[in-house]
Amino acid sequence: MNQRNLELKVIFWVITGLFGLFLVLPIGVLLLKSLGDGWPTLFFFADVLGQPGFLQALGNSFTVAALAAVLATALAFCMAYAVHYTALPRRFKSALIAVASLPMYLPTITYGFAIIYSFGRQGLITRLLGRQLFDIYGMAGLLVGYVIYTVPVAFLLIHNTMGFVDKKPLIVSKVMGDRPLATFRIAVLRPLLGTLAGAFIQAFFLCFTDFGIPASVGGGYEVIATLLYNRMLGGIPDFSRGAVIAMVMLIPSVGSICLLRYLERFNIRYSRIDRAELTDSRGRDAGWGTAGALICVAVLSIFAVIFLVPCVEAWPYQTGLTGEHFRAVLADRQLVAVYIHSLELALLTAAVGTLVAYGAALITARSTLPQRYKGAVESFSLITNAIPGMVLGVAYMFLFSGSSLQNTMVLMVLCNIVHYFSTPYLMMKNTLSKMNAGWETTAMLMGDSWLKTILRVVTPNAMSSLIEVFSYYFINAMVTISALIFIAGARTMVLTTMIKQLQYVNRFNEVFVLSLLILFTNLIAKGFFSWLAKKAPGRTK
Amino acid sequence: MLNLHHVYKSFDGTPVLTDISLQVDDGEIVSILGPSGCGKTTLLNLILGTVTADEGDILYNGEVLTHMPMEKRGFNIVFQDYALFPNLNVWQNITYGLKNRPGVSSAQEVEELIDLLGLRAHLDKSIDQLSGGQKQRTALARTLVMKPRILLLDEPLSALDGVIKESIKERIKAIARDFHLTTIIVTHDPEEALTLSDRVLIIENGKISQYAAPSEIVHHPRNDFVRRFILNQLEIKRSNIYALFGEQPAAAV
Repeated sequence: MNQRNLELKVIFWVITGLFGLFLVLPIGVLLLKSLGDGWPTLFFFADVLGQPGFLQALGNSFTVAALAAVLATALAFCMAYAVHYTALPRRFKSALIAVASLPMYLPTITYGFAIIYSFGRQGLITRLLGRQLFDIYGMAGLLVGYVIYTVPVAFLLIHNTMGFVDKKPLIVSKVMGDRPLATFRIAVLRPLLGTLAGAFIQAFFLCFTDFGIPASVGGGYEVIATLLYNRMLGGIPDFSRGAVIAMVMLIPSVGSICLLRYLERFNIRYSRIDRAELTDSRGRDAGWGTAGALICVAVLSIFAVIFLVPCVEAWPYQTGLTGEHFRAVLADRQLVAVYIHSLELALLTAAVGTLVAYGAALITARSTLPQRYKGAVESFSLITNAIPGMVLGVAYMFLFSGSSLQNTMVLMVLCNIVHYFSTPYLMMKNTLSKMNAGWETTAMLMGDSWLKTILRVVTPNAMSSLIEVFSYYFINAMVTISALIFIAGARTMVLTTMIKQLQYVNRFNEVFVLSLLILFTNLIAKGFFSWLAKKAPGRTK
Repeated sequence: MLNLHHVYKSFDGTPVLTDISLQVDDGEIVSILGPSGCGKTTLLNLILGTVTADEGDILYNGEVLTHMPMEKRGFNIVFQDYALFPNLNVWQNITYGLKNRPGVSSAQEVEELIDLLGLRAHLDKSIDQLSGGQKQRTALARTLVMKPRILLLDEPLSALDGVIKESIKERIKAIARDFHLTTIIVTHDPEEALTLSDRVLIIENGKISQYAAPSEIVHHPRNDFVRRFILNQLEIKRSNIYALFGEQPAAAV
């Protein structure tokens, strides 16, 4: 018993050290910085808040993020409904799920360029339709980008809950003589309310803190993310005011995550999943099928340019097919080096991050350590969930500038691990807490030490979740830009920050080729990891 | 011989076990019986060693075990949900402990156990392919390979249905007899306790209500709780069965 706690305590202190140094300390420094360089003062807060553009940008952020979140949640709901409540063919459903999650495998900055090349004056869709649908540089462009960005997250949340929602009340309600709308309300909407609210808030949080989309299509419509970027890395950097903006960005983020946690209590948990027989209804299937297909076509049509543009000579003037741009990128040593560097970063993030999440989850889900230890680990998860990547990046910039960690791969890996810690941790905790509570005791009675039990029993049975966590970290490390933009150096450039650079010099062919590289790398990785996870024992199905 | 002397245990100030003193003789099967929340599982955990007593002593053959860590006591347990390792097959589960203590059972002894528990045909199966009774027998075999000084069984029959229940009962009795193995069973089912064990320890609200042989309990219930909780259930069952077979139940005891 004591031996076992000793090992867990070592893990605990390693994790605490990690989050102390790379989460709590940087955020503390950021707070200090926002209070000025000398004696703490609220001068910078007052000054920033007093600037006319600032409140405007903040308001813009709120408006566009909220609108996008509503739209994304509604679209995601339609797609999930088509998957779970219709008798559409299985292949169609699989396609829906695939398209709904596709945007996850691309960096947000790419969406922006995809929108420009679709809806811009010379855009693909503009040309097909013969006229421009809306002004992309501004609210409409942002909205489209944000919706695409957050549909996958909202969809996965709703899709997941719908899978667990009891389908029997549908039948009960019909038998009781409810009208269709009443049935829909009591048997579908009501049990999903918590999740729908959760999906909205999560989408809002992502839009509010995203940097990639406003960086590409924001235009004259200022949002807080672009404000922060320009303050920190623009023509005349102003760190104290930058810190203030970061702090201001932090407040709604923390608020939305707190709200999310609060809402989780209202989620209905069903222990059994029943496959209720759905009644036959051609009208219903046709309606939802059309809606789902339309959404898919819309998403795919926006992404079509990513494939098209780098395959033609010079969009939009010379539209002959060519592989020249791919060849050029692959021949460019610098770009290839950036790609390899990105891969290394993603693999390292995934490997170390999985270990950290596993260790943390072992403490909370499978140990007898006192509550204060578990509470500490939980709070790391909570804080990382609420800290926007940009805020973390800015905080790192303050803390580690001038140190030997500045611009290093190590710092970027740690940044990613901290930034994305929450979801992997919760995934691991979920798996570990579902495992048989008697394993450690049994194995110990068979003469195992704690470490041996973990290696011989717990790890093999957690393998499928470990692989999923690895995959999650890998993919996010491949697409993230918000934090890295502040801490990547010239020699530690990754694909996403490189895309930002290429944007300055208008090398959009390279932008799209690199985006495709990210997409295919992620799809291959995802396919490979899913295959591995399926083979591993302990599948959580 | 296992002895408990005036053992007390409370969680967060709520007493769970109060002044428990008892003796279990070598080779005896003892059931700990009581309603849920009465403290029977805590008592099992105290003997196993996952929980430490606040007061009092636990002795085995005169040796004080009260503060000895679980893995040094030489007892072993089969959990209610078996806690089998799903990444390993039946054979690997059964021989799990031999990796750590190679000499504890000889190869021949392991083979005999496999036959005794009727697991020969299932050795290569994965845990998911087993029925409840097969899982129970695998878990029993895995534990018996370790040659425990005392075998603890946590609700060994509650997850099994009808006929399998009876056959596992017989096996537990056979094992206790053949290996002269002291066996302590936790259960909430009076019928199970009274038909399986040499003595039954009835617990109510953390106190010993009666500790006696089954016939003694049936014919001389020591208090109202034993009469109401334990015997009443059996009488209802008995009259149901008599009614089913169209016979008159004998007068209530």
